[in-house]
Amino acid sequence: MKKQRIGVYICHCGGNISDYVDVEQLSKLIKDEEGIIISKDVMFACADSNQKDMIQDIQDQKLDAIVVASCSPKLHTHTFRNVAIRAGINQYNYAQVNIREQCSWAHSDTPMDATIKAYGLIRAGMNRVSYSEALENVEIKTHRAVAIVGAGVAGMRAAIDSARMGNHVYLLEKDFFVGGHVAQAGKLYPTNEDGKEVVSKLYNTIRQMPNITLFTGAHLERVSGSVGSFTVEVKISPRYIATNADPQKVHRVFTDCCPENSNPLLYKDKEHRIMYKSYPEACPDIPVVDVERLQSNVAFYEKYKDIFDVNQQLQLLKLNVGSVLVTTGFDFYQPTEGEFGFKQSDKVITLPEFKKLVESNSDQLIYNGKPISSVAFIYCVGNRQTKGENKYCSRQCCAATIHTSIQLHEKYKGVKAYHVYRDIRTYGKQELLYQKSSQLGDIYLKYEEKEPPVIDCSGTRPLVKVKDYLTSKKEISFDTDLVVLVTGMVAREDRTEIASILKIPIGSDKFYNEIHPKLKPVETVIGGVYIGGACQGPKNIAESVQSALSGAAKINALIKRGTIALEPIVARINADACVWCGKCAEVCEYDAIKMVELNGKQIAEVNPATCKGCGICAPVCQPDAIEIVQYTNNEIESMIDGFMSQVDIKEKEVDAESHEEAKAGMKEYPQVWNQIVTLLDGQKLTIPQISEQLGQESNVITYHLMTMNKYSVVEPAGLDDDEAYFYYKLKK
Amino acid sequence: MPHINPDFSTEIKKYGAKDFELCFNCGNCTAICSLSTANESFPREMIRYSTLGLENELKSSLKPWLCYYCGECSSDCPRQAHPGELMMSLRRWITAKYDWTGLAGLFYKYIAAYIIGFLLIIAGVIAFASLKDFNQEVIMHYGHYFEMFAIAGVFAVVLVPNIIRMWIYTIIKPKVKAPFKSYLSAFSELIVHMFIQKRTLSCEDTRETRIRWFEHLILVIGYLSLLFTTVFLDWFGSQNLFVIVLGYIQSAIIFVVTFDFVLKRIKKKSELHKFSHPSDWFFVIWLFFMGITAFMIRLFIDVNIIENNFWLYLFHLIILVQWAVIIVPFGKWTHFLYRSFAMYFSRIQEIGALLKK
Ligand SMILES: Cc1cc2nc3c(=O)[nH]c(=O)nc-3n(C[C@H](O)[C@H](O)[C@H](O)COP(=O)(O)OP(=O)(O)OC[C@H]3O[C@@H](n4cnc5c(N)ncnc54)[C@H](O)[C@@H]3O)c2cc1C
Ligand code: SF4
Ligand code: SF4
Ligand code: SF4
Ligand code: SF4
Ligand code: SF4
Repeated sequence: MKKQRIGVYICHCGGNISDYVDVEQLSKLIKDEEGIIISKDVMFACADSNQKDMIQDIQDQKLDAIVVASCSPKLHTHTFRNVAIRAGINQYNYAQVNIREQCSWAHSDTPMDATIKAYGLIRAGMNRVSYSEALENVEIKTHRAVAIVGAGVAGMRAAIDSARMGNHVYLLEKDFFVGGHVAQAGKLYPTNEDGKEVVSKLYNTIRQMPNITLFTGAHLERVSGSVGSFTVEVKISPRYIATNADPQKVHRVFTDCCPENSNPLLYKDKEHRIMYKSYPEACPDIPVVDVERLQSNVAFYEKYKDIFDVNQQLQLLKLNVGSVLVTTGFDFYQPTEGEFGFKQSDKVITLPEFKKLVESNSDQLIYNGKPISSVAFIYCVGNRQTKGENKYCSRQCCAATIHTSIQLHEKYKGVKAYHVYRDIRTYGKQELLYQKSSQLGDIYLKYEEKEPPVIDCSGTRPLVKVKDYLTSKKEISFDTDLVVLVTGMVAREDRTEIASILKIPIGSDKFYNEIHPKLKPVETVIGGVYIGGACQGPKNIAESVQSALSGAAKINALIKRGTIALEPIVARINADACVWCGKCAEVCEYDAIKMVELNGKQIAEVNPATCKGCGICAPVCQPDAIEIVQYTNNEIESMIDGFMSQVDIKEKEVDAESHEEAKAGMKEYPQVWNQIVTLLDGQKLTIPQISEQLGQESNVITYHLMTMNKYSVVEPAGLDDDEAYFYYKLKK
Repeated sequence: MPHINPDFSTEIKKYGAKDFELCFNCGNCTAICSLSTANESFPREMIRYSTLGLENELKSSLKPWLCYYCGECSSDCPRQAHPGELMMSLRRWITAKYDWTGLAGLFYKYIAAYIIGFLLIIAGVIAFASLKDFNQEVIMHYGHYFEMFAIAGVFAVVLVPNIIRMWIYTIIKPKVKAPFKSYLSAFSELIVHMFIQKRTLSCEDTRETRIRWFEHLILVIGYLSLLFTTVFLDWFGSQNLFVIVLGYIQSAIIFVVTFDFVLKRIKKKSELHKFSHPSDWFFVIWLFFMGITAFMIRLFIDVNIIENNFWLYLFHLIILVQWAVIIVPFGKWTHFLYRSFAMYFSRIQEIGALLKK
């Protein structure tokens, strides 16, 4: 039903609008339009006094809808929705029209045009609001449970804290063992702790927490639902170890059948083994059986039959959670064949491989049976490619390399280390490592990307030639026993699996993308889905844990409330028109549309909790059975009509009297300005606070503050706790 | 292509270098150094060569000599790599490289070599004295001769050949093409720098800089003129009042200034005095003893306490011989020569470079 009693409020915003847009003329013009009961121009629409007037108007005149023509909806939508609620009408029967940013500020050179545009926009708003409906927010009950995908350090740490906050945590790990890369990284900077110990500690804590359920061998299959109420489907692969097997016996068989890892450089060792663990102390402490190998080795199987259960099946689980935290980590960069001699010479290996080598050699560094007395590290391999794909810096590899180099000196005698780097990025306390390594006599040589070092493996020992930018670009050579490529991080090869299931956007660096790197660093565009750790981009452990924990805290704040109110801007199906062709369900990226039977007829139904109101479904519907609430055809068409309507605006007459008044007002500027400037020195205050402290009416303060804002004397400094007023502070 | 010699750092440390591996090549030292110029930029470059152990580059460079150790670089180095001390160590090392006998290196690297040398000289002088029945007059006579022949000998056998080697390393091997004329026109550099060390004054203009320059200046003048007074005017034997007083003044300058040097090295207040290599100690202490013993000997002669004077003279002679045979040809004394020649050669290099353009 069309609204018939509409109130329109056009704001001067001090002079911010009325200096250019002739708001008085507009309000007079609009007064006579159909359905308009009240049309006012007001000094500050957002001011307390005006809000009270508006409530009074709505109640006295029985208004059924309001239009506020002032600033950006970003600023005051909440303010006026509240006015509507307080006055007793529905908050969605209000339209905000922006005539400041879009008219007076944008067209200050041509005030006439600004006024005409403002008229069009206000007409559009009036028309829209006349078709507006009273709507209720969609309330969703939240599950106090979280799914954390990926049990690396980031995921494990977040699981522990999330559980401590009182949530149930499902920790889903794709691998059969937890810990991710840290478990295999040996000694870690900056604390020199062992990665395995870090992982074991976290794992033991997790085991003791009843409200964490850890699934290993878990593959995320599907996620449906929306913020507060997701259904997560997971496929669990079996280990093929009988559930009632004696752990000690399993252990014995494992050590019997599976000799120590043959290749110490291997990151994960599954090769040629019937039962395996990623490393002896891996958690959980149950080996995994390669069932094909087991079945082909009949003798072995027969001998230890009782500990195996080859009939174990894939399990499919459905978990209800309120939110999902993704901590799936990264992959090591794998150099291409020939990149700095990689794979062409066995004397060229990567940093992760080298770290394993150091870990497995205790007194003397031996590689391929030969003692190693010098090592050349080539930095930034696969990173910071100005022309290649990986333009970013991996942040942690400089420190990891230098830390490894220090370990060389501490563990072995007389090993010489050469660092062939582009820039050393040991930010923060890691700088101390850099200093220590220099002190220990490590030699640093700097190359530029355009002139990379050349590694000549033709002789008995690799010869490295560097154009050293620290030695006036002289070509310098040295020979070494081993070349270690400092390979950084890349996004996981299987990143798209999770991205497509959860609809997380992937950035140009191929890592998962947050909404805003500074202000929303762990949020994704999908409500309720958060990212943490190195899946988001290169991070060291501390940074990975920090981001995952902030995700856990955000999630807790979200789901502990019990319910979540969502704006009701969703798709709506006209049951009569719908013929269930299913096209809308096909295009909906959020799986919000299902088929239902209504009075024996199959039609589409939208789940308002999952629908994002994106509108993709509307144009594909042939019988035009879909409307997006608040953006209905009526609303949009009438807005266009309103905007295009002709108007005859008269040139604004500047009467001498008001000019004098303005001039007088100008004279008072310096004093009020000075007072405000002194007051704001070193603090931020809202308009009501300033007006209280200066004993001035808030109207006057608003006026001056807006002008000061325009002339860059002050600037907004975020909303206050009630999200009602902006703070202002001095602009430096 | 220069090849890294990772063992060089151990070598140069024996010459006194401290913590220079800490250098991360920020270049602050070069920026702050008042003596470094666009064409002759140091000390960072020298530190770099030392880190990589590029001995040929170091040996052919005159830059170590262009530094006068004001210590600004060391106090401003963000990594406390003591660049000034490295420059000092390079001067020692490069002196050892110029020295064809190889003894300079031995003395610089091993304090034991110094001590053995000194002891041998003590034994030698005492043996000689006993051979002459500890006859003061005879010994003084020979001592006088020794002074004359030592100067000539040290120059002819050690210093001149070493300067020729320096010339080969820095002018001939790097193929500097400078006409003979330039050797003449640059000669004034040699003299100016040898005697007045005016470069010190180009360091940051502070009270310390000026005091340091002044002390150094009067020390050089005092030392050289005392040498003249004793060798050619025979101070110890002279009856001429003017000569006697002159000798007193000269020897007093020497021991007063060197006493101040010793004090400064003990106090370690400025960068220059923070690290003292044995060669630095020997240099100032021996000079001090030379000055003070010469002073006392003449004093004893004048107040006629001749009995005690013999032992004093013997002590003086020992110091003198140690000085002339070890410190002058192989120790820090050579700075005096090499530094001035470095300025001379550097000027020649400059002319060569200009002509090339
Ligand atoms: C050579 C090297 C040395 C390093 N050394 C140090 C150091 O000394 N100190 C330091 O602070 N940092 C170091 N780092 C950085 C450190 O490794 C990372 O910061 C850390 O591993 C990030 O933790 P994460 O949990 O985010 O990711 P990961 O460690 O990669 O863990 C991710 C986990 O998620 C699982 N997973 C992935 N996809 C899925 C999926 N679809 N479903 C379920 N589970 C999934 C993985 O199996 C893995 O267990 C180093 C990095 C490198 C490359
Ligand atoms: S952290 Fe260092 S090695 Fe790694 S990419 Fe950045 S600059 Fe290169
Ligand atoms: S596209 Fe239209 S007609 Fe087809 S199912 Fe969806 S709503 Fe019904
Ligand atoms: S508007 Fe349509 S396509 Fe978009 S989420 Fe809602 S139902 Fe899906
Ligand atoms: S100031 Fe110190 S760290 Fe910087 S280049 Fe000079 S010696 Fe190296
Ligand atoms: S000690 Fe003084 S003169 Fe020598 S390099 Fe340093 S700043 Fe320059």
